[in-house]
Amino acid sequence: MILNRRSITVFILLVTAALAGSAQDQDTVQKVTRGAEMSLFAEDNENNCLVCHGRLVYTITDTVSGLSRKELMAEHNFISRDAFYKSVHWSFSCLDCHSEGFKSFPHAIETRFETGWGCIDCHGYDPTYAQYKFEEIDAEYQKSIHYTATDGAFSCWQCHDAHYYNPLARETGSGRENILKSNEMCLHCHGNPDIMGLVTEKELTMVLPRHEWLPDPDRHLAAVRCIDCHTRMNDSILVAHEVMTADSAVNDCADCHSQNSILMGTLYKYASKESRDQQGFVNGVIFSNDSYVIGANRSKFISLTGMIIIGLVLVFAGVHTVFRVIIKPVKRYYES
Amino acid sequence: MSHNFYHYPVWVRLWHAMNAILCLFLIVTGFSMLYADPDNALVVKFQRAVAIHNVCGVLLTISYTLFLFGNLFTSNGRHYLLNIKGLGERLWKQGYYYAYGYFKGEKAPFPVSGDRKFNPLQQVSYVGVMYFVLPMLFITGWALMFPEFILKKFLGLSGIFLTDQFHVVLGFLVVIFLFIHLYVSTMGKSPVSNFRSIVTGWQEAH
Repeated sequence: MILNRRSITVFILLVTAALAGSAQDQDTVQKVTRGAEMSLFAEDNENNCLVCHGRLVYTITDTVSGLSRKELMAEHNFISRDAFYKSVHWSFSCLDCHSEGFKSFPHAIETRFETGWGCIDCHGYDPTYAQYKFEEIDAEYQKSIHYTATDGAFSCWQCHDAHYYNPLARETGSGRENILKSNEMCLHCHGNPDIMGLVTEKELTMVLPRHEWLPDPDRHLAAVRCIDCHTRMNDSILVAHEVMTADSAVNDCADCHSQNSILMGTLYKYASKESRDQQGFVNGVIFSNDSYVIGANRSKFISLTGMIIIGLVLVFAGVHTVFRVIIKPVKRYYES
Repeated sequence: MSHNFYHYPVWVRLWHAMNAILCLFLIVTGFSMLYADPDNALVVKFQRAVAIHNVCGVLLTISYTLFLFGNLFTSNGRHYLLNIKGLGERLWKQGYYYAYGYFKGEKAPFPVSGDRKFNPLQQVSYVGVMYFVLPMLFITGWALMFPEFILKKFLGLSGIFLTDQFHVVLGFLVVIFLFIHLYVSTMGKSPVSNFRSIVTGWQEAH
């Protein structure tokens, strides 16, 4: 009988293992408890800076005449409290970074020339953050088209607003969510002609039409990040930052659709590395995430088994042919 | 004296030729996608392989549908009706003949006749390929062309990945079938007589 007790037990164990494997990722994601109630500086921020900068409409009062009027807060000066206290910089006081004349109000004219810290200014050359290689990221960024085409006017902040920064790849459980948020960063400017029109005189084309050479472009754009094709691949840092010109972007399908897919060094790098090291390519990379790429997700077992069977068929046919060639004439000779 | 039987009417021959050509294209492009590599000159360029594979897959589905109708409405279908009773014994007899009796000069246990186009081994493999492997290949192939209809997860695994692996396994089965089919075809009255019959329509008894 095919379905005996042992085979049923093995089947149940296999199913349980598969289900447990999918749940394991959820357990290993570490969340840091954040929020205004946890911050030592929340009250201070709330009673000072956020009185104005935490509101879309703020009130300004002339202390001499006592006159008040309402003003709209400029978008780039507005801070969303919720998003800030969910960011990695949630525990900071506003004045930790905005220290050049912001303590007094009205702010002095010098504040208009605030330096504006970049990531490297706090995280560079600090052993605490050595694993993230900020120095290498900064070096890559300085070679990127964003830096070279804008004479350095472009900064980390255009993509990574420190008020709201969260490390996507390390904190989001879902690959698709990661892709969506990453691409939102690019599309914030590249999908908005009003913004792009301010920085380039080139004729603007929309993002989707430029990607119509891809089969099923919508599916491609939802499955990979812009930077997977538009940055120079760098295995040594988590996310490559050397954004290239559009002409240099990946446009050969097999760059992704092959066993040595560049996606293993870009998009799937963080999610895959640990499980790949522990479970091998097939189980670790394919079975542990939602990704699927034709050509890249080849099952070595199926390929090898298929090839062995084809080989055996050919060997059998060859041996059979030899017997046909040898035995028949010998038989005919004896019969005659 | 040898007898000839008209086993391959025009529509079967046309279908078979189309089937053969499309399967060859599908196998070459299928392997090219499976072993895609920008540095490998032996495989068809990925983008081209995908396009050719998709077009040939659609055409093969159409050609298969015509074959199904042909089998439903002509006498060709009777060759694909398996008689389960005594099948194991018949398969053993035919296998014994291929492995041993053939070399001893024994007569074929199930020679070609007016009513019999396939021996039991051929019949089982053709029924398996035509009524199971190919339909499953079409279902999984079409599903991969429209992946939004595939279950996202099945038993904790990616549905699209499982569909693809099943498609690949079935593809390997077709390749294995093709090699056996070609080799067995050389075991007719003469090594080329069966190839001649699929062109002329007339099969020589053996």
